[in-house]
Amino acid sequence: MSRFLKPTLTRRGFLASAAAGAAGVMLPLYQQSPANAAAMREVRLRAAPGRVRLVPEPFGETAIWGYNGAVPGPEIRIRQGERLRVVVENGLAEETTVHWHGVRVPNAMDGVPHLTQPPIGAGERFVYEFDAVDAGTFWYHPHQRGFEQVGRGLYGPLIVEEPEPIRVDRDVTWVLGDWRLKKSGEVSEDFGNRHDIHHNGRVGNTVTINGRVPDSFAVKKGERIRLRLINAANARIFSLDFAGHEPVVIALDGQPVTPHAPDGGRVVLGPAMRADLVIDMTGEPGSRSSIMDRFYEGLEFPFVDFVYADASLRERAPDWPMALPANPLPEPDLENASRNEVLFNGGMMGEMIAAEMGAKMGPGAAGGRMGGMHSMMEMMNSSSAWFINGVAADETSHVMKPMLTLARVRSHVIAMTNATAWHHPMHLHGHSFRVISRNGQPTRHREWQDTVLISPREKVEIAFVADNPGNWMFHCHVLEHQAGGMMGVIRVA
Amino acid sequence: MSNILKALVLASLLSSAGLALAGEKDVTLYKNPQCGCCEGYADYLRDNGFAVTVKPTHDLSGMSREAGIPEEAEGCHLSFIDGYVVSGHVPVGTVNKLLTERPDIKGVTLPGMPMGSPGMSGTKEAPFEILEIPKSGGVGGIYAKE
Repeated sequence: MSRFLKPTLTRRGFLASAAAGAAGVMLPLYQQSPANAAAMREVRLRAAPGRVRLVPEPFGETAIWGYNGAVPGPEIRIRQGERLRVVVENGLAEETTVHWHGVRVPNAMDGVPHLTQPPIGAGERFVYEFDAVDAGTFWYHPHQRGFEQVGRGLYGPLIVEEPEPIRVDRDVTWVLGDWRLKKSGEVSEDFGNRHDIHHNGRVGNTVTINGRVPDSFAVKKGERIRLRLINAANARIFSLDFAGHEPVVIALDGQPVTPHAPDGGRVVLGPAMRADLVIDMTGEPGSRSSIMDRFYEGLEFPFVDFVYADASLRERAPDWPMALPANPLPEPDLENASRNEVLFNGGMMGEMIAAEMGAKMGPGAAGGRMGGMHSMMEMMNSSSAWFINGVAADETSHVMKPMLTLARVRSHVIAMTNATAWHHPMHLHGHSFRVISRNGQPTRHREWQDTVLISPREKVEIAFVADNPGNWMFHCHVLEHQAGGMMGVIRVA
Repeated sequence: MSNILKALVLASLLSSAGLALAGEKDVTLYKNPQCGCCEGYADYLRDNGFAVTVKPTHDLSGMSREAGIPEEAEGCHLSFIDGYVVSGHVPVGTVNKLLTERPDIKGVTLPGMPMGSPGMSGTKEAPFEILEIPKSGGVGGIYAKE
């Protein structure tokens, strides 16, 4: 290789960064490259068991699986247009891979076992290398037995900076984690249990920000913060209420969006989704306000407190522009796009909802297939929990015939119908797509996403140009739903 | 259900359950916060004279294990009634039988969410088999068929 490589970290560097990570501080694992050098960054990630402090005293440390000994793994921070090389070492006792969630990588770098690469065996390593074509907030995690590997702490942020970032006082990343802990403070071992698979996944009992149960977040009056939220939870959906603050959404899933106030003031984030917010700190010096999570009725809880310093930074919020420059995404041509119907079935109460919606829609309508007696019987008799167009994927068999084949460089609409009683954050690999409608109504911002949260009984249309050839995963990012069959392959050829 | 029909059902059930005393009728029902059918079951118990407190939780699978109910026999919610655990959409006849006979068991379960069971829509396809949870945990025999 002719490109200049940054020296890899020394063992001491490793330990230092791991310790720093455990303390909630994010360090870049590399130095700024000279502007004239071919910009290549190298990072090492070692997936292995470890112990970290998630919950405060009197609890002890918790046994986790993490990257470089920390949860979350190190924040990888690069500039748009740079090339990233990541050497992944597997220190687990089982196979793993790393998926670069939301990054439009070449297929061979996508990190899906048996589909884009052989899994990385215990003690083996694999080198990922790709260009950061889009600026934005992304993350990385395994795609092998994700419901357990991610659930035990294998994830980290990947931030791609714009060449000229918008002006803020602080650029802050919050990786939101969700843990099911026992009273001892150790992780509950009931991964992939039947209840979780058939209901709303493994929603835990302990929420962390950057690997710690949050208490307070220090701010100053007049301060402007760019807050990058990454939902790394297996299954938990957040609906954050910023207690009188007025967050402005400037990007979703890493992709810029017209700056806007979120609906009802709440920032809703399904598993794997990200939001970049601009928040002006408008509280009074010395005050304290509780950010609430309000997604689950009857289980609302104070998420973290903004704690204002006694001194102000400035009296008024700044009027600096918030709009981010667009990423180089091809615009779908809706006039000439192919149209593809995709139907989700299954889960608890699934038969009931399918019956209701089937009656409503009638044969021949979107999702009319659900009336097909054969596939219905097949689904009911199957041990699988979730179905895409009547098919449940078997993750262990590695047989993944494409459910759709899309013509390369053409535009495509995927019209999804959620005929289940549960939310599904549907993730497409290798592409970002525009969310163009919900229940037949055009979306206001036609937002680009890589993971779209679909409510029970909801219909969502997405559109994109299939410009990235290969076999790509399309799956629910409630990782227990994925394990229960809710995934398929979309081929771009 | 029409009010008349409801009253008839209520009356017939109350007469068959005449032995249940006040105080035995307090129920705490733990449910998944997003599960609608469990609310339907809570209403069904209320219609049958129980005082039901519904508590949403994310810990249902763990609580079911703690109550001795194995994964494959778990109902979709968990009720605690006068010292017994009642898992899933168990019909009130069986609940009253339990409270009347007071067997030396931990409780009963109706696994899954059978169509046509109390709180669920759809048509009942076969008699429901309600299983015993012995004091030692696991699944015992069939406690009742309805």
